[in-house]
Amino acid sequence: MEKELDRVIEEIMATPNVNGCLVADHQGLCLASKGTAHVDSAGMIVAISEQACKIQPNLKPPTVCLETDTKQCLIQRHGTITGAIFKQKS
Amino acid sequence: MVDDLRKYLNHLLEKVNGLFSIIITDRDGVPLVRAVTERAPELALRPNFISTFGMATDQASKLGLGRNKTIISMYSSYQVIQMNKLPLVITFIGSDNCNTGHILSLESQIEPCLKELAAVVADAP
Repeated sequence: MEKELDRVIEEIMATPNVNGCLVADHQGLCLASKGTAHVDSAGMIVAISEQACKIQPNLKPPTVCLETDTKQCLIQRHGTITGAIFKQKS
Repeated sequence: MVDDLRKYLNHLLEKVNGLFSIIITDRDGVPLVRAVTERAPELALRPNFISTFGMATDQASKLGLGRNKTIISMYSSYQVIQMNKLPLVITFIGSDNCNTGHILSLESQIEPCLKELAAVVADAP
């Protein structure tokens, strides 16, 4: 059932500098995760994207980028599904 | 101690959208600390509702999957998340569309505060 999702995750993980990937549903429950992405952070990731959507509720959901010195976390919501990609800065 | 914990629970309540209450009880459903908003359903705050978790978690632990840690109950307009921290039970009540994952992640934030309370309850006759 989740074959297609696993394939997409594998594809994302194969991208250079990506070391983690997580997909969660609208309830903040983890659908899939791979690499450094922790299952327990699914709720927090969905909450961040929800809060970001409130900034401009009439526009499509924004991409949130959390950045540290060495790493990046990109969060994007699509309908009820939220995805997060953890990247090493190049 | 309890006042500080209540304040902390109230602070956590504000952090999660749609979360109505956090209740820490013993396994019989006797409330020890409560942080409740006015939107919480009265029936779900009663000991006879909360104490059913004690039985449910015992039965769920017999399924051969190891000790049961959490039970999430989804209702038409509410969700109830109960965590097994025996001798304590943590009950979260939220709206049906509340972020379940976010509530589950509160466990790690509440757990360090429970040590003293668990020791008191365990020592009680």
